[in-house]
Amino acid sequence: MQSLLILVPLVCLMLFNLPWKRGVGQAVSFGAGLAFLAAQAAAALWAMLSGGEPFADPLAGFLVFKTSADGLTWVMLLTIAVVAASSLAVSRAAFTDEKDRFYFANLLFVSVIGMNGAALSGDLFTLYVFFEAASVASFILIAFRRGMAGLEGAFKYLVMSTVATVLMLTGVGFFMLAGAGTSFAEVRAACLQSAHPEFARVGGLAFMAGLFIKGGMVPFHGWLPDAYGTAPGPVSVLLAGIVTKATGVYGLIRLTGSVLPMMPEVQTLLMTLGIVSIYAGALAAIGQSDYKRMLAYSSISQVGYIVLALGCRTPLALAGAVFHLLNHAVFKSLLFSNAAAVESRLGHNDMNRMGGLQAQMPWSSLSAVIGLLSTAGIPPLGGFWSKVIILLALWQAGFHAAAVLALAASLLTLAYFLSMQRRVFFAKGTETGSAVTEAGAAYLWPQLALAGLTAAIGIGFPFVYRFLLTPIQQLLW
Amino acid sequence: MNPSTLLIPVFLPLAAGALIFLLAKAWKGSGAVLSLAATAGMLAVSALLFGKEGTAALPWAGFGLDFVCRLMPFNGFILLAVSFFAFCTALYAASSLKGKSIAPHFFGFLMLSAGFAAGAVIADHLVLLLFFWEGLLGSMYGLIAMGRKDAWRTAIKMFVIVGVSDLCMMAGIAMTGHAAGSLVMSSIHLPVEGLNTLAFLLLAIGGLAKAGSMPFHSWIPFAAEDAPLPFMAFFPGALEKLVGIYFLARLSLDLYGLQAGSWVSLLLMTVGAVTILLAVLMALIQKDYKKLLSYHAISQVGYMVLGIGTASAVGVIGGLFHMLNNALYKSGLFLTAGMVEKQAGTTDLRKLGGLGKRMPLTAAAFVVFGLSISGVPPFNGFFSKELVYDAALERHWVFYLAAVLGSFFTAASFLKLGHAAFFGPAKPEHRDVREAPWPMLLPALVIAGLCVLFGVYNTLPVHRFLAPAVGEEALAGHHVSGMPANWMLVAGTLIALAAALLNHRYGVKRSGAGLGAADHIHHAPGLSGVYDRAERQAFDPYNHWTAFVGVLSRILNAADRGVNALFDVVSVSAAKTLSAGTRRLQSGAYTAYVLWSMAGLAAAAWWMFR
Repeated sequence: MQSLLILVPLVCLMLFNLPWKRGVGQAVSFGAGLAFLAAQAAAALWAMLSGGEPFADPLAGFLVFKTSADGLTWVMLLTIAVVAASSLAVSRAAFTDEKDRFYFANLLFVSVIGMNGAALSGDLFTLYVFFEAASVASFILIAFRRGMAGLEGAFKYLVMSTVATVLMLTGVGFFMLAGAGTSFAEVRAACLQSAHPEFARVGGLAFMAGLFIKGGMVPFHGWLPDAYGTAPGPVSVLLAGIVTKATGVYGLIRLTGSVLPMMPEVQTLLMTLGIVSIYAGALAAIGQSDYKRMLAYSSISQVGYIVLALGCRTPLALAGAVFHLLNHAVFKSLLFSNAAAVESRLGHNDMNRMGGLQAQMPWSSLSAVIGLLSTAGIPPLGGFWSKVIILLALWQAGFHAAAVLALAASLLTLAYFLSMQRRVFFAKGTETGSAVTEAGAAYLWPQLALAGLTAAIGIGFPFVYRFLLTPIQQLLW
Repeated sequence: MNPSTLLIPVFLPLAAGALIFLLAKAWKGSGAVLSLAATAGMLAVSALLFGKEGTAALPWAGFGLDFVCRLMPFNGFILLAVSFFAFCTALYAASSLKGKSIAPHFFGFLMLSAGFAAGAVIADHLVLLLFFWEGLLGSMYGLIAMGRKDAWRTAIKMFVIVGVSDLCMMAGIAMTGHAAGSLVMSSIHLPVEGLNTLAFLLLAIGGLAKAGSMPFHSWIPFAAEDAPLPFMAFFPGALEKLVGIYFLARLSLDLYGLQAGSWVSLLLMTVGAVTILLAVLMALIQKDYKKLLSYHAISQVGYMVLGIGTASAVGVIGGLFHMLNNALYKSGLFLTAGMVEKQAGTTDLRKLGGLGKRMPLTAAAFVVFGLSISGVPPFNGFFSKELVYDAALERHWVFYLAAVLGSFFTAASFLKLGHAAFFGPAKPEHRDVREAPWPMLLPALVIAGLCVLFGVYNTLPVHRFLAPAVGEEALAGHHVSGMPANWMLVAGTLIALAAALLNHRYGVKRSGAGLGAADHIHHAPGLSGVYDRAERQAFDPYNHWTAFVGVLSRILNAADRGVNALFDVVSVSAAKTLSAGTRRLQSGAYTAYVLWSMAGLAAAAWWMFR
C-alpha cells in the first residue's frame, strides 16, 4: 500500500497538468496537495501506532523496484508530510502570481515523490535515483524567482550536487564489484563476507561523501548557505526543513545505521564531522546579519548533532538522531516560515535593519521564540528531548568529551538565536513604530501549528518515545 | 477550665494587632484603645488561668505538626508576667507615643509581639514554639526599625544575630525531635550526653540569644539609642528575658536533664559570669541614661544564666526569681528613662542633673528600682541574687566572686546614674520641667510597688510562682524564701554594697561631679585602653563576623567577576573571531566549495585507509 505514496503524487502531477480552465489547475493542485500530504501524515501515524507494516502492498508489482517500510521510514514520511504541507501553505501567501503557485505545487510534488521514494526504497541505487529526483526539483525551486542571486545559489547547488552524484554512483559501482547487488541486505553481506572487502569500504566512503555534500556537513557544505539564503521563503522552508534531511541525512542514517557494519574509523569520522559541523555552523551563524543565512548555518550546526549521534552508533543514539531530525524539521520549518513572514512584510532579510517588530508582529515574534527555544534545547519543547537523548547516548557510550562539547555548543545556539530575536523583534530599531503590519494568516497558521507541534512533541514525549523511537532502536544493525 | 480558653492570651492580642494595622489610616487612636483593651483581656484571662493546668490542641500544619498549647506550673506565671508587662507597656505607650506618627504601627507590632510571646510560652510543640519564636523576631524587627532614621541598621543587626541563633535552634529542634522520636515538649526528656549535648547547646543558643546574653548582646545598646523607648522597656527589659530564660530553664530542667557539675553546666555558668562582669563594666562608663540601662539589661541576664547553669534547685529558683525581679525593675528603669526623656528632652547624663526636685515621683520610683537592681535588702533583687550566690558558691567560689563583683559594679553605676540625673545640682535649663503625666507614671509606680512587695514578702512569688515550677520536692528542705539562711553571704553582699558606696564617694570627690564617679575606673591604667577599644566596638563579635563575611563576599565577588569576564570577554571575542574566520572562508566561489569537499574527502579517505 505504501507504493501509493509514490504513485498517487505521480498521478496527481499528471492530473494537475491537464488543460484545465484558468485558475482551476492552481486550486486543484493546492487542494489535492494538502489532501495528499494530510493522508500521508495520517497513514504514517497509523502505521506507527499499530506498529510495523500494517498495509499490504499489492501495487508493488507495478514498480520496477522493491519498497520496504520500517519505523524509520514512517518517521520520515510523517516529517516529509508535515514540512511539505507547511511549505505549501506558506507558498499560497508568498507567491502572488497564480502561475507561480501552480508551478511551485508541481515542483513540490516532484520533490515529495523523490523524498517518499527514498524513504521507502530498500536499495542503494534506488535511493540514489530518488535523491536525484528531489535534487532536480530543488535546483529549479531555488532559482524560482529567476533573479541573479537565486540563479547563483541554484548553480552552486547544481555543481556540488553533481560532485555528489559522481561520488554516490562511484560508491554504487564499488558495492556491485564487492557483492551481488545494491540492496541493503546484499551490500551488508558484501561488507562482511566479500572476497574484496576493501571495495566495500571504498564504496561506503564514496557513497558517504556524496551524502555529506547532500546533507551539508562541514566542509562539504559550501552550497548550503547560498541556496537556503537566496531561495524564496516557501522553498527555504522545504529545502532546509526536509529536502536535505530526507536525502543526505536520511541516507547517512540508513547507510551507517542499518547497512554498513560497525567500523571504528567511520564512527570517528562521523563524530569528528559532527562536532566540526556543530561548531563551524554555530560560529558562522553568530556572525550573520541575514536572517535566512543565519538559519542556514544553524541548520548545519543542528545536522551536526544528528551526525554526531550516528557516530556513536548505539540504539539510543540512533533513536536520538532520528528524533532530532524530526524536531529539526519542525522547528527549522517554523523559523524559515517566520523568516518568510518577516521578509514578506519588509522586503529584505537584513536583521540590522529590522528591530522593534515586536509591537507590529507579536504572533510572529511568539512563534520565533518557541522555535528558537526548541532549537536551543529548552524544556519542555521537543528539541530539548532529542538533544538530551543524544547527550545521554554519547555519555553512556563513553564519549564524554563529545557529550560535553555538544552540550557547550548549546550556549552558542542560544547566543545567536537570542541575538536574532533581539535584533528582529525585541530591541528598538529601524522598524520601531513603523507602519508594518502582522503577517497574514497564511504565514501565521503554519508557524503556530508548527510551534504547537514542537511543544506537543515535548510535552507528549513518553508517547513519542514509545511509538516513534522504540521501533527505531531495533533497526541498528 | 475549658482548654480553648488557653488560646485567648495568644489570639486576642494577635487579632488586635491585625485590626490595628487595618484601621491605622481610618482611626488614628485605634492603637492605644485596642491595645489597652486586648492586653487587659489578656491579663484577666492569664490571671484566671493561673494555677490551672490544661492542654489545648488544634490540627495545624499536618505531618504531626499540631497546634498544641499546654498550661502548667512551669509557664503559668510567665504567661501572667508577659500579660502584665504587655498591659503596662500599652498603658505607658498610650501616653508617651500620643500623637506620634509611629504610634499605630508601634501598637500593631506590640500586640503581635505580645501574642507571639504568649504563644511561645505556652506552646507545647517544638515546631509551634519555633513558629512563635520567629514571629517574635519579625515583630521585634518592625519595632526597632520604626525608631530613629537609621534604626534599620540596628534592626538588621538584631535580625542577623537573633536570626542566626534561631537557625541554631532550628537545627537543635530537628536533632531533639530525632533523638526523642517526638516534637511534643511534654513527652521529651533526654539526658545531656553524646550527640544530645550538641542539640542541647544549639537549643540553648536560641534561648541565650533571645534573652540577650553575651555573645548575642551587641544589638541591645544600639537599640537603646535607636528604637522607641517603650520597646526597650518591654523587650530587653522584660519580654526577652521572660521568654528566653523560660526556654533555657525548661530546656535544662524538663526537655533535657542538665547534670550539676557537668561541663555543659560549667559552660553555662561561665557564660553567665562573663556576661555579668563584662556588661556591667561597660555599663559603668556610659554617659547616656538609656545606654547605661541597656548594658545592665545584658548584665542581669548573666545572673539568670548563672543560676540556671548551676543545675541545682536553688540556682534555678534563683535564676527564675531574678528573671521576674529583673523584668520588674528593668522595665521600670526604662520607663523612668522614658519619662526623663519626655520631660527633660534628653537622656544624655551630661545635660541632666537635679531632676529629683522637679520629678519627685519619678525619682522615688528610680530609687526603688536602683536599690532593687543593686541588691539592697529588703528589695526584691537582693533575695534572688542571694539564691544565685548560694548556688554558685556551691559549685566554685570563682562564680560567686564574679557575681559579687558584678553587684559591686551594678551598685556603683546606679549610684552614678542617680547622682547624675536626679540629685546633684539642678541645671538652669530644666527650670520648667514638670512631673511626668499619670498614665506614664502609673505603670512605673505599680512596678515599684511590686519590687518592694516581692522583696519584703518574697514568700509570695517564690512559693506561689516558682516552687511549683521546679517542684516542691526538688527543693528538699532548702530554705528559699524569707531572709537568706547563710548570713556569710549576706555579709558579703553588704560589704560589696558598702564598697560601692565608698567607691562612689571617692570618685565624686576626685572628679567633682556625680557623673564622674566612675572615671577613676574608666581611666585606670590598663583599663582605659581596653575601654577605648570596647567603645569603638572592637570586641563586638557581630562586627568581626560581618567583616569576615564582607571579605569573603569580596573574594567571591572577584571570583565571580573573573568567571564573568571569561564568559563576557574571552568567550565572546573568541566566538566573534572564529565567526569572522568562517565567514571569510565562505567566499562565494563555487570552485572553493568544490575544493573543500575534495580536501574533506581526501582527509576522510586517508583516515579510512591509512
